[in-house]
Amino acid sequence: MDDYSPPVDAPGGIAAPARPAHVRSGRATDLAIDAHGIGVRYNLRFTKKTTVRQSFAHLLRRREGPQHFWALRGVTFQVEHGESLAVIGPNGAGKSTLLQVLAGIIEPSEGQVEIRGHVSSLLTLGAGFDAELSGVDNILLAGAFMGIPDREMRRRLPEIVEFADIGAFIDAPLKTYSSGMRARLGFSIATAVDPDVLLVDEVLSTGDQAFRDKSRRRIEELIQAAKGIVLVTHDMGWVTTFCNRALLLERGQIIAEGDPAEVVAVHTDHMEQVRIEKEAEAARLRLQGVL
Amino acid sequence: MTTAVTGPVVTYGGRRPHALALVRTGLSEIWSRRRLARYLIAAELHKKGSDTLLGNVWWIMDPLLQMGVYVLFVSLVVGRAGTTADYPLFVFAAILPWKWFSSAVNDAILSVVARERIIKQVHFPKIILPVTATVSGVVNFAFGLVPLLLLMIAFYRERIAWTLVLIPLIAVVQLVFTLGLAIVLAAINVFYRDVGNVARHVLRLWFYLSPALYSAEQVSKLAGDLPWVATVFGLNPFSVLFQAYQAVIYHGTQPAWGALGILLVASLGLLVACMYVFQRVERAFAKVL
Repeated sequence: MDDYSPPVDAPGGIAAPARPAHVRSGRATDLAIDAHGIGVRYNLRFTKKTTVRQSFAHLLRRREGPQHFWALRGVTFQVEHGESLAVIGPNGAGKSTLLQVLAGIIEPSEGQVEIRGHVSSLLTLGAGFDAELSGVDNILLAGAFMGIPDREMRRRLPEIVEFADIGAFIDAPLKTYSSGMRARLGFSIATAVDPDVLLVDEVLSTGDQAFRDKSRRRIEELIQAAKGIVLVTHDMGWVTTFCNRALLLERGQIIAEGDPAEVVAVHTDHMEQVRIEKEAEAARLRLQGVL
Repeated sequence: MTTAVTGPVVTYGGRRPHALALVRTGLSEIWSRRRLARYLIAAELHKKGSDTLLGNVWWIMDPLLQMGVYVLFVSLVVGRAGTTADYPLFVFAAILPWKWFSSAVNDAILSVVARERIIKQVHFPKIILPVTATVSGVVNFAFGLVPLLLLMIAFYRERIAWTLVLIPLIAVVQLVFTLGLAIVLAAINVFYRDVGNVARHVLRLWFYLSPALYSAEQVSKLAGDLPWVATVFGLNPFSVLFQAYQAVIYHGTQPAWGALGILLVASLGLLVACMYVFQRVERAFAKVL
């Protein structure tokens, strides 16, 4: 995979550096994430909730349309320890798929990714929650799902409960919680685990204003604690404030990589272009309707 | 060399492991995540118990009520109950393991798809899910032994024999057999969501084709000069299991060890094959769900 080169037909923007920062410093062991030519291919024959009947229908129409599509293709990048990388891009660009690959949830169809250190994913909060169980039980269950030793989870329990600030509710079943309480609990579980590599997907604006400030501080703390962070967000303020590097994904490929402000500018540019095209299209349709 | 890096180095992607390595990984994953398995089982039992008014009492009442239905059905409609002495006990000896089997299979089929959200968020060995669904049924089965003993003490005291202590041995064979099926069906259901519907009907048919409400001798008598019928009938794993349970509970005799041994070996083979299939397709779960 060494001969991989970034997409040449990248429409505009900053060219992705072929060999990133760690080569300059010459300390390859400082890498938290080393992704090499990652491609993720989805098979369209098995999409959501297939039944046998639908499969037969697919079989009959076998040669119609593409059988698969690449959600990610040829994605190569590195994240050093202490670095915080923002991944931005339009909807459906493959940002979440990338996080899933980094978290080990999806096996890449091609390429390789090497992760050094414990990974914690703050993908969507409270995914593993069980409404019937109490807050404490859910914390322990979440820890067990994430593979954290039980002893450590119990040691961190007071801290998690403290941070989530749900008071006496911690012993009540989760179904009695408000959505804000659930989000707070999810956030404190995911960030209390002290990961080497933290993956965050659009969760920063959960809860009320007070908790938002608190979680913002917590993320800042994590970044300062020299952990590798990959952040997927639509909030460009976060990108420029907290990340020292950004990566623009479009249609599964890296379009631009580099200084957050510059990459954000490229992204905003592209979005503006898309918006103008859409408006032109809409206007054309309206015109057709009139005629 | 810098020392900034702590913790494990994980690599995703690259070459595929071979079949035996996959099965071995599956086993070690289950072992290393036994804490997760324990929590999942506890959660499962907690939910089953606390959701209903009578709670755990249902675990005891359920098989008794079901036995009542079958006894009524057979004696009123078919009118054959008279031919088997102590028919309620005979039926109960099969209902108990069957309830465990059918609910384990049904739970396991849904176990993976029900955890869709966490599968897409966290990396963990998915094989834990059907395994815990199956194993948590053991607790229900054990609870079912309470009404069995009550029944025997109250009405069939003369049938109580030392062979009752052999029940766990038969249950182990059943567990191995169930685990294999549960694992592979849970995996298939991710790709074809109608496995649950098919399984419900197959299970019902399977129960009636197994010697639960009638004895195996009646079948061979009916088969008469068609010996292959009895042979095919005997190939049904639940023919072996039900007869073994009936032997130790109803007849007070030792089960047919040979048949049980063969079933155990076959079930172990099935389990390994099913684990291989599961581990092989597991990597696609997060994409398909």
